[in-house]
Amino acid sequence: MSFSIDTQTLEELNLLGKFRQGSIYSLFNRVRTRGGEQLLDSMFRTPLDNASVINERSGIFRFFQEAAMVFPFDVQEILLMREYLDTSAGSSVLTSWTGTIIKRGLAALTRDERYKQAVQGLHATIVTLKKCHVFLETPQLSTGPYAHRIQTIRKILSDPRLEKLRNIDIYQTLPIKTLVFYEHVLKTKLHEEMEGFLSFIYELDVYMAVSDVARSGGFIYARAWPPEKNILSARELYHPGIKTAVGNQLSLDGNSNVQFLTGANMAGKSTWMKSVGIALYLAHMGFPIAAAGMDFSVRDGLYTSINVADNMSLGYSHFYAEVIRVKQAAEAVSQGKRLLIMFDELFKGTNVKDAYDGTLAVTEAFSAYRDCLFIVSTHIIEVGEVLKSHSNIQCVYMPTIMDGAHPLYTYTLQKGITADRQGMMIIQNEGILELIN
Amino acid sequence: MALHTDEQTITDLGIFGRRDSAGIYDLYNHTHTQGGEAILKEMFLHPLSDKETINRRSSILKHFARLHLKFPFDAATIDMTEKYIKLPDERTGHSRGQGTYSEKEIHNGVTSVITMIRQLSAFIAGDVNGISAYADEREAISILITDPAFEPALRGESKLSYTAVAAYDTLFRVRERHKIGQLLRHIYYLDVYLSVAKTAVDRQFVFPIALEKGLSVLQLEDVYHPELKTPIKNNLSMGPDQNVIFLTGANMAGKSTFLRAVSTAMYIAHMGFPVAAGAMRFSVMDGIYTTINLPDNLGIGASHFYAEVLRVKKVARELSQGQSLFIIFDELFRGTNVKDAQEATVAITHAFAGKKNSMFIISSHIVEAGEALKQKSNIGFSYLPTHMNGHQPSYTYTLQQGITDDRHGMIIIRNEGILDTLKNGLKQTQQP
Repeated sequence: MSFSIDTQTLEELNLLGKFRQGSIYSLFNRVRTRGGEQLLDSMFRTPLDNASVINERSGIFRFFQEAAMVFPFDVQEILLMREYLDTSAGSSVLTSWTGTIIKRGLAALTRDERYKQAVQGLHATIVTLKKCHVFLETPQLSTGPYAHRIQTIRKILSDPRLEKLRNIDIYQTLPIKTLVFYEHVLKTKLHEEMEGFLSFIYELDVYMAVSDVARSGGFIYARAWPPEKNILSARELYHPGIKTAVGNQLSLDGNSNVQFLTGANMAGKSTWMKSVGIALYLAHMGFPIAAAGMDFSVRDGLYTSINVADNMSLGYSHFYAEVIRVKQAAEAVSQGKRLLIMFDELFKGTNVKDAYDGTLAVTEAFSAYRDCLFIVSTHIIEVGEVLKSHSNIQCVYMPTIMDGAHPLYTYTLQKGITADRQGMMIIQNEGILELIN
Repeated sequence: MALHTDEQTITDLGIFGRRDSAGIYDLYNHTHTQGGEAILKEMFLHPLSDKETINRRSSILKHFARLHLKFPFDAATIDMTEKYIKLPDERTGHSRGQGTYSEKEIHNGVTSVITMIRQLSAFIAGDVNGISAYADEREAISILITDPAFEPALRGESKLSYTAVAAYDTLFRVRERHKIGQLLRHIYYLDVYLSVAKTAVDRQFVFPIALEKGLSVLQLEDVYHPELKTPIKNNLSMGPDQNVIFLTGANMAGKSTFLRAVSTAMYIAHMGFPVAAGAMRFSVMDGIYTTINLPDNLGIGASHFYAEVLRVKKVARELSQGQSLFIIFDELFRGTNVKDAQEATVAITHAFAGKKNSMFIISSHIVEAGEALKQKSNIGFSYLPTHMNGHQPSYTYTLQQGITDDRHGMIIIRNEGILDTLKNGLKQTQQP
């Protein structure tokens, strides 16, 4: 079963999207090759669901982060090589021969570029093989979590035909016989080996790019535990997209599975929820996360309701849109999945009493699911007073400090419930009431 | 003097249609000419803010509607005239026949101008003669066409010789070109009047009566939204003793539609146009501002609230200049939590209540705010009820006095079966 997450959650957390400003994907997208980008893309789209696989991948990232190696290949050459291998070759040596001779003839007579491309493609392949051979000799690689993969690539490269190819000096005349031979062999008999070799390069690209981001951002790797352990704890967890973010602690497990969050507007409630969601998602990908440390058990999915928009065209009011959202979460939870669910400011599109009743009833009903973890924020502190009595609900708040008429925010979670609100203050700061009176 | 309003209001009311839907403007647009359409659009963009002008235009329209007049021209004639008059004047320095247009075009142009003058002459001699509000415009047209220069056009034969065409061409396109332009403009206005009058007749709209500015009076009987197919009609009465209305009601009970109906009627009434109601009396305002669909495309949570605050501030600034305004806020402060919204709604509504020369309708889902507002005698309370039919809500869309005690939030939550789902779900993950 794969990690389930829906479009709204992905959007609220701003996870995907190459061209979306501030998306988590664009934060990590420092890859150089197109194949690397595709690989990164698929990693983002399919988080892992097995603790040991996650730990293995994060181990490799950590290895590269510590090794701090430089990507040894030239992007242009890889592109040429890719194109060279993609152009179809004759099914037999004979057709390769005729094909090459025709191309050479055409190149001499007309402005046909194909012969030149074939030569350049082979050159790029030779250079890349050479670079890879040198890179594989790096002593660091022979040990560590990536050693096994290195071994398989070494095996590919030790093929006598590739060894011979590698040792060709590209600045010497390339006999047409060699050209035809490799044209044929690389695209037919050694096709799979070459694909494996290229995907190794793409992998390296992703590992190095992501670990570079991690190194410069000071990110760490979470440790994954089997689902049964049912924990999510982190130290100094913060939002990776915010440079001066303040870290906070989180500790949820089966005995304390609900975090009840209060605080004024702009005090940082939503950002905190987003930070938690992003960290959990990245952790399931084995990616580095913005924290000082994190332990998590593998979950079945992630579900948030942070910015529910009303859908006028469907005739949904804001309130109804929220109800539908909660309903979807309830259905997922009741199927016995282990989820992380986050609701920000539930039921704001209704009257105070309904918001109170709704928040209380829904939170209490959800909190009975000890295998799921919840973070719920609200301004209705009376709900917190009732919920306090439940042993599995922890109350925290984002404080506001008043500096005269201006609110200051610490973004540091405190234990307890706060009644802070700034709605009126914003109105007063704008001087609206004075204008009218 | 033009009425103050803004882009937000025009969008809220749907004055102009979007790509896929018709607007209020389209209901009134039966114009035959492009010039008429342009003038109608201009009127929609700039409603009036002056009692006399509004009542005069309204009176013209009312009489036109009463007389069931038809647009007396063939649209092709007018188009041809327009095109012909705009042909460049090549008479200076160039000899005849070297123009870029044919003799045929000239001939057609001349014929259409003559037809237009004759039809116009017949029209103003007809029923419009008795409309006092139209007398000035009628007089202006009359002076233009009884000008001695046009005398041959009114009398001449129907078949024109080549030389006659040449003579008329000089007359229309060179000597009296300006007057033809003025005539066209009168015809465009006529087109607009007849188009709006047709809407009044076809849809049985009523002509509102404009009262003195500053009285804060709005009396509406059987008002409805003109775009609804089967509308429920409502009455509304506002005055100096009740210039603020606090409107409550469940979601989907029809609050926004009611607000749109009232503010559309108010907006259209300021154009002197007929409105979708049984009867309407209103004091002329300096401005109309509605906030029904405030865009919150900024994406961040706090920003919708801030956008609302800025909108209120804009209104407050206009109010502070002593203007008499008609203000609508739908779901005031829905962008923030219920507690902040309650506090802010009370504070702002109280402040608004102090402005006796303006009128306010504020809708809110925070029924708790109503209690605190009852202290002020000039705040009225209305609500749109919801009847529970077992578990299914049904709506009457009929305005009632008071504050609703409908609280269907929990019922909706229960109806969706959320709590049941959670109660009966698998509390423990099954071990494989």
